[in-house]
Amino acid sequence: MDTQNLPVNRKKSIAVARLLDRMTQELDIEVLAGFQGIGRPVYAADVNRPGLALSGYLEYFANDRIQILGNTEIHFMERLNPAQLIRRLTSMFSFEIPAFVLSRNLAPQNAFLDMCNRSGVPVLRSSMSTDEVITRIILFLNEEFSPETVVHGTAVDCFGVGCLIIGSPGIGKSETALELVERGHRLVADDVVALKCIRGERLYAESNPIVEHFMEIRGVGIIDLKAIYGVGRVRNTKRIGLIVELEEWRPEANYDRTGLAEEFVDILGVKIPYLRIPVRPGRNIAIIIEVAALTHRLKELGINPAQRLNERIISLTREQRS
Amino acid sequence: MPEVVKELVVVNPLGIHARPAAALVQCVLKFECDVYISFNGSRINAKSIMGLLTLAATRGSRLKFTCTGRDAEAAMKAVEDLLAAGFGET
Repeated sequence: MDTQNLPVNRKKSIAVARLLDRMTQELDIEVLAGFQGIGRPVYAADVNRPGLALSGYLEYFANDRIQILGNTEIHFMERLNPAQLIRRLTSMFSFEIPAFVLSRNLAPQNAFLDMCNRSGVPVLRSSMSTDEVITRIILFLNEEFSPETVVHGTAVDCFGVGCLIIGSPGIGKSETALELVERGHRLVADDVVALKCIRGERLYAESNPIVEHFMEIRGVGIIDLKAIYGVGRVRNTKRIGLIVELEEWRPEANYDRTGLAEEFVDILGVKIPYLRIPVRPGRNIAIIIEVAALTHRLKELGINPAQRLNERIISLTREQRS
Repeated sequence: MPEVVKELVVVNPLGIHARPAAALVQCVLKFECDVYISFNGSRINAKSIMGLLTLAATRGSRLKFTCTGRDAEAAMKAVEDLLAAGFGET
């Protein structure tokens, strides 16, 4: 598979509505004003505390970010006289602002809410502390703005190792996944695997919200894995630790015989260990993938079987020489 | 390697549901070349039923087909005929 030229999707902006949709429960959010503006776009995966903007300094005002209003900002606004407040807010509102988020169930002044209602800037209020709100919003935005792609393959959680199985159509990816599930492992996605790179270092596989854990098995048709095996055998997302490419056995090809040299592929900038496994009648691919996943875990624990055996051989030959 | 790119329109009333998806997969599996469909920001392999279903392509959707391989021309012709015939549905 050509992992270098995958089409990468990167969101340029997300609507405030998306934040409401995903985070209302987690952040305990209510909308206080400006509901008509929930379609406003957020362009940056960061937040801003507009203290300086409220004090009248509007150079370098990071207006394209979500504005967080905590104790400091709210109490500062209370100290301003009404005419001053209106003046400051008017100059602030001459910038495009995606939304305000209040923390600690703070109550803003009516003049502020009126202005937000008139300008259609949503005001959300959370019951959480300011630092908690900031951390969670930034994490959420970071994830939303992560690069994504879709690959044709199958993702399975095998002994806790996320395995992405790829290979040409008809090679038996779905059948292998089915056998892995039968053996107690969990399916993440079949056929259409969404991949997401989080914080530039972790690759996650996600199931597609439309087809979820439905699968096509040639000769049987469409099956629903969750209905057959239960919720315990499926999951919606899993970090990928291993990529397995299935290919037809070619006698002339050089397959890894020792495992001393590790191969990697780069997907969305993340380096993932890669194995090429030849398929031939009589080779049980599911068991091979199980063993590969377990070996991967051993290596992560610092135990490399090929290296250990090699060291044993080398020390034996050294003894014989001396 | 020859590559053919064409934008084709879905004409059957229900769009690409399970049956048309299966018909399309059957059609492209006969060819050696890779067939990819780009639609709505995603790109999927046309040899996968599940992939086709995730497109949720309705009547009037414009799908960009890319055939790459020795028999790309012939594959594109077959796909074009299938879509124009509305996958045999009315």
